[in-house]
Amino acid sequence: MILKLAIRNIFRHRARSLITISTIVFGCVAIIFIGGFFEDVFLQLREGFIEAHTGHIQVYKEGFTQKGRVEPFNYLIDNSQEMISLIRQLPEVDYVTPRIQFSGLLSTGDNTVSFVGQGVDPQYEKSLSKDVGEDLRKAYKEGVKEGVTTLKIGQGLDSHDEYGVILGEGLAASIDAKVNSSVTLLTNTVDGSTNAIDTKVKGVFYTSSKSFDDIFLRMPLKTAQKLLNTESVQSLVIKLHHTDDTQEVRNTLKFLFKKRHFNFEIKTWDELAEFYTQTVGLFKKFYLIMRIIVCVVIVLSIFNTMNMSVMERISEIGTIMALGTRSKGVVLLFLYEGIGLGAIGGAMGVVLGCVVVQTISCVGIIMPPPPGANVGWLSHPMIVPRILLSTFVFSIFIGGISAFYPAYRASRLVITDALRYR
Amino acid sequence: MALVEVKDIFKNYFLNKTSLEVLKGINLKINQGEFLVISGPSGSGKTTLLNIMGCMDKPSSGEVFIDGQKTINMTSDELADVRAQKIGFVFQNFNLFPVLSVIENVEYSLLFKPWSSIEKRKKAQEALSMVGLSEFARHKPLELSGGQQQRVAIARAIVREPLFVLADEPTANLDHKTGEGIIALMKKRNQQHKTTFIFSTHDQKIIDQADRVVKIWDGEIQL
Repeated sequence: MILKLAIRNIFRHRARSLITISTIVFGCVAIIFIGGFFEDVFLQLREGFIEAHTGHIQVYKEGFTQKGRVEPFNYLIDNSQEMISLIRQLPEVDYVTPRIQFSGLLSTGDNTVSFVGQGVDPQYEKSLSKDVGEDLRKAYKEGVKEGVTTLKIGQGLDSHDEYGVILGEGLAASIDAKVNSSVTLLTNTVDGSTNAIDTKVKGVFYTSSKSFDDIFLRMPLKTAQKLLNTESVQSLVIKLHHTDDTQEVRNTLKFLFKKRHFNFEIKTWDELAEFYTQTVGLFKKFYLIMRIIVCVVIVLSIFNTMNMSVMERISEIGTIMALGTRSKGVVLLFLYEGIGLGAIGGAMGVVLGCVVVQTISCVGIIMPPPPGANVGWLSHPMIVPRILLSTFVFSIFIGGISAFYPAYRASRLVITDALRYR
Repeated sequence: MALVEVKDIFKNYFLNKTSLEVLKGINLKINQGEFLVISGPSGSGKTTLLNIMGCMDKPSSGEVFIDGQKTINMTSDELADVRAQKIGFVFQNFNLFPVLSVIENVEYSLLFKPWSSIEKRKKAQEALSMVGLSEFARHKPLELSGGQQQRVAIARAIVREPLFVLADEPTANLDHKTGEGIIALMKKRNQQHKTTFIFSTHDQKIIDQADRVVKIWDGEIQL
């Protein structure tokens, strides 16, 4: 009966309840939309890093991450084929590709700059994506298959074209290199001597990271090995079908390596993509602050409504208590009303939030390049069930919290004073 | 044993640091089945006495017994339970819940009875039938006249089968004829079911029907 009384009271002053519910709905829509937008940012950023730079997991020789920057060639993997065969057996793995990274000088004859080169397997590390946003969305749903190192001009690497290289956009611009330009790569081999090869620019690429594009070039692994005078590789980059499997595969690999007494380091994409981790951390802080602001607005709105409700119903509260309702019952009555307002507003907010996010997502939001990048992107805010559920629960909780003080105040009224109140 | 007994009751109120003595040593016993009126001019303390007997207020000193049970040291929750189980209330302004229907208002009084919802609905219907408002069960209180609303309030008071009903100026907001109808209804209930009624009023119509009239003047019973 108290619940029934509470529900009827919610609709007692329809205009006032409507305004309060509208505030809750607006707050919920804002939380759902911003949350969906940030989730899309996280997804695009994450998959961008995985595809263009890190893969899901990288395997190095033990000690590489500690000392590999200074002595990279002291931590080469000699038995890479055995390792690759072992890793490929895992069903979660899409493919494994070896890499070797080195630095040197790049010259067109007229201009010379330093570079960082990556020897990669062209078969797996293609440069295909033309529409980053759409491909990532597809990739997220179907499992990542294609790279997001986007070719600006020219062609990608080809395993049949041993001496074709692709340059990052900034690197190509710094030496004024064009497609089909001849460039010479000069570097130290693994044994410390100097070696150089003549290559041809097949294409120019860009990624989501401007700093990467300014210094990196990519070339076929075999050519890099020839240049460095080695048959070893530096790392194995593992791509999975689904990003969510990363930790599971990491644990399996750890177990397999231990069993075979392999001394290797296993790093996951989130340990390697520091920029991603920092960006996510920053955005999550923004989101938290926004939620707090929305929470305060909703609390004040419900609190105001409930407080007015108590003031208007003092005599009624007196009657309820005179009829034998304990203080707890009075508290419950107003708590139910606050929770009811929160639940109605939350439910409507979730439905409207889905409609708004879906509508905006269909159109997309054109975003400028993020800091450190040179390409803009198209954001498609996502409907995230976790956010919908938490927003609904949050609005109910806030409803209860906001109503608590007015409810407590009502329960402390003196019956005889309340009955006399007009 | 008296149904209600107050012993040497004093009640002081404090207004701007000034103590105001409203009741000055009241002693009163009310027996089962009485139709009793506490009468006196405005400010004489009759409503305060009624509130103390209804466990809605506590005296500054003295003792109160309801059905032999001492209430003076009870907590607010225990007093709420006494009100819920043993006392019915009829107020001057009817005090019905406007958002509930007539029958729901009556049912609210049974909130603390350990009966099923079907039983409660049946009891509420019977009470409404007794006050002649069966056909208005689904109406909202504000759709009824003042007299009808007070009848609903009486149904709400008696439906829980209380030991006694406290009625504070029940006819004050009603016209003469309607007031007579309300008094007749309560008198009939008193005669047929031996329900004890205790009124606080200076309405002569009720005083005329009373078995006993207790006159209060300036916080004291006039003998």
